[in-house]
Amino acid sequence: MTAATLFQPRRSSKILRNVGFVALPLLVLVWSLADLTLGRELLEWIPYLASGFAMNILIALCAMVLGTLVGVLFGILELVPYRLLRYPVVAYVQIFRNAPHLVLIFATTYIFPFEIVVFGNYLPFPDWVKAVIGLAIPASAYIAEITRGAILSIPTTQWEAAKGLGFSRNQTLRRIILPQCLRRSLPPWMNVAASITMGTALASLVGVHELLHAATDASTAVRRLDFTVIAYIVVMAAFFTLCYPIARLTRRLERRFNAA
Amino acid sequence: MQDINLTDLFVSLTGRLGLNYEFLATGYEAQIWRDGFITTLYLIALLIPVSLVAGLLFAACLTSGRVWLSTPVRAFVEITRNTPTLVQLMFSFLVLNTFVSDLVGGAQNNPLSPFFWVVAVVGLHIAALHAEAIRAGIEAVPASTVEAARGVGFSQLQILQYVQVPLAFRASLPAIVNNLINLVKLTTVGNAIAVSEITYASIMVWTQRDNVVSMMIVILAFFSLINLVVARIGLWVERRLAVPGYGL
Amino acid sequence: MSPTKLTKLLFGLALSISALTSTQASADATLDRIKGRGTLTVGVILSGAPFGYIDPKTQAQKGFNLDIAQALADDLGVKLETVTVTPPNRVQFLQQGKVDILIANMQYTEDRAKILDHVPTPYDRSGGAAVVRKDSGLKDWADLKGKPVCVSQGSNYTQPLMEEYGAVVKALPSQPESLLALQGGNCVAAVHVGATVGLLLQDRSEEWKDYAIPFPTELIPSDSVIWLRKGEKDTQAALDAGVKKLHTSGKLLEFAKANRLLNTEYLQRANKTLSASK
Repeated sequence: MTAATLFQPRRSSKILRNVGFVALPLLVLVWSLADLTLGRELLEWIPYLASGFAMNILIALCAMVLGTLVGVLFGILELVPYRLLRYPVVAYVQIFRNAPHLVLIFATTYIFPFEIVVFGNYLPFPDWVKAVIGLAIPASAYIAEITRGAILSIPTTQWEAAKGLGFSRNQTLRRIILPQCLRRSLPPWMNVAASITMGTALASLVGVHELLHAATDASTAVRRLDFTVIAYIVVMAAFFTLCYPIARLTRRLERRFNAA
Repeated sequence: MQDINLTDLFVSLTGRLGLNYEFLATGYEAQIWRDGFITTLYLIALLIPVSLVAGLLFAACLTSGRVWLSTPVRAFVEITRNTPTLVQLMFSFLVLNTFVSDLVGGAQNNPLSPFFWVVAVVGLHIAALHAEAIRAGIEAVPASTVEAARGVGFSQLQILQYVQVPLAFRASLPAIVNNLINLVKLTTVGNAIAVSEITYASIMVWTQRDNVVSMMIVILAFFSLINLVVARIGLWVERRLAVPGYGL
Repeated sequence: MSPTKLTKLLFGLALSISALTSTQASADATLDRIKGRGTLTVGVILSGAPFGYIDPKTQAQKGFNLDIAQALADDLGVKLETVTVTPPNRVQFLQQGKVDILIANMQYTEDRAKILDHVPTPYDRSGGAAVVRKDSGLKDWADLKGKPVCVSQGSNYTQPLMEEYGAVVKALPSQPESLLALQGGNCVAAVHVGATVGLLLQDRSEEWKDYAIPFPTELIPSDSVIWLRKGEKDTQAALDAGVKKLHTSGKLLEFAKANRLLNTEYLQRANKTLSASK
């Protein structure tokens, strides 16, 4: 193989990868300019669709924060020497790692009450929060496995060495093991983040006002086939523009950590 | 007769635990529900080979080094990986399906069913994930091994057939099993387009009876069981194929 | 982990979930709560004109059901708050207490009456109509035997279509998807509340020129009623008085005309009989 043939595909794939960031939004733009009545209709609905997408982002952020907090804790608990503590956590991780996201969203939406009583006050418990919990459950199960795997990947000699230096078990975990775990678990964590972000579209099936739901509302109101098509492409474009950079960054980090 | 008595016993026992499975004693709901289990299993049994074959094809295109082959596949892989499967499914079922109908001259001639679209969308989505795993596996085959094979006099094709693919398959097996578990979970999106899998069947029951908890317990147990089996089989294959001294 | 251990754990988890839910009993104080909060929360369905839809211009919710909800809230002297529901989630939303009442195209059926209570005076009467292709040759409900028919998930037409007419029911998340599935050829008929599909075919005659509603009868015509949770007698009584008032004052007829309901026969009759009995 000559240098030229090696160079050629790499350059074209690089262009392709960068086109990826804007390709779908560009398609929407070109189409709405080509058919102005369609473009005007779409422009009218953009604020409505945008409010839907804001909901997707909100759900994804909250679910990841909650899922990460619980997941890291559970990942550590999976390794504690006390069976009474370990077994329930292992069961939680096994069941919810294997459960479909959609089923968990159905479960949290329909099983949790719509409001909770805290010290005699009624706190509303809106749908989107239930969707957050429905997605945080599988996220926490994945992140627990990632954390566990990361902790196990640190050679035991490091624990011993730290002990030799006079660190307690707790100190070793906090100062030596976890910082290394953080680096190793960042790429898989970002994969979970992307998967959860895309999972937010499932919330439309339980009536949360998010992007896919908004697109269905809009196409019901407009009732034009080409509008329905472009509405779905807008939905895909929105998710793609959000998730593709995450995926690119993940791959870059993976490569860098593998090389190191 | 024996069967009905067992059902009654089950309903009354679970009823005492606060669970409601009364629909089992009725006609059409119990039927839908039983069919739901079968449809889910059938979907999974069909999707696993479909996704693997398509994944291999995609991986072959991606690593072929031919731009006109790898570029469209790369674009497809990126789109399917980075957009929600539910949106893809709705788009295919509501938009692509209409185009197909127009193409064949009317909806009545369109042979594509919702079932087909679930198999196509979920199958290709998982195939894209397989392709990435296999590609990474091929790249992970040590250059020295390939050199050695070339030194022994293997042709490029022979190297691919006897060295790269077998080793790549082993290296990517954990990732493939992981994808298959995702595949099992993804079959549930079928309910959005009326494929009568288990979630759809459960919705049909709980909208009429308000027994979400009872249905949920069964669904969660069912999927845990399937995925346990898939993971076990994956582990078994991994052990059977393990090459001493290669990999972890 | 061994399978037996997993089974045990699973069972334990199942028990804790069921224990969690059994503690959330809803109190019978809805009317007090409505008055206390100053809002009536109504579950409405936005499956299209005339009952409930989003206005393309203002993106506000409009329709017959919305008008009724507003009038009832005014009658109780409280503000109206609407929650959009879909056929598969409406009963759960009511049971959870997320909404106080449902005005959501739900007709009276015996099965529903087992798990929910309803306001005895209906606000309309309607049945299911089947939209089919004109060239399909389908003439009556019995012709649907063995054929795929689209409905909404949670529709009360599922059971009669399957048990009485032997149709293969395909239930989609909501009415727009069901109609798109019909256009895509995934079913031979889409069965929905008569007035919505009737108006759709009339308003969108160009897009729907190949389709018609050819069957002479409606499927299980029954009373459209307002649904509420079991045992909430006070709310039921207050709303019943409100609905009766809307009938006698002719307001319901007005709403029906403003929203272009195709068939107001039932409402005219109810207006006469209820006014006479007063």
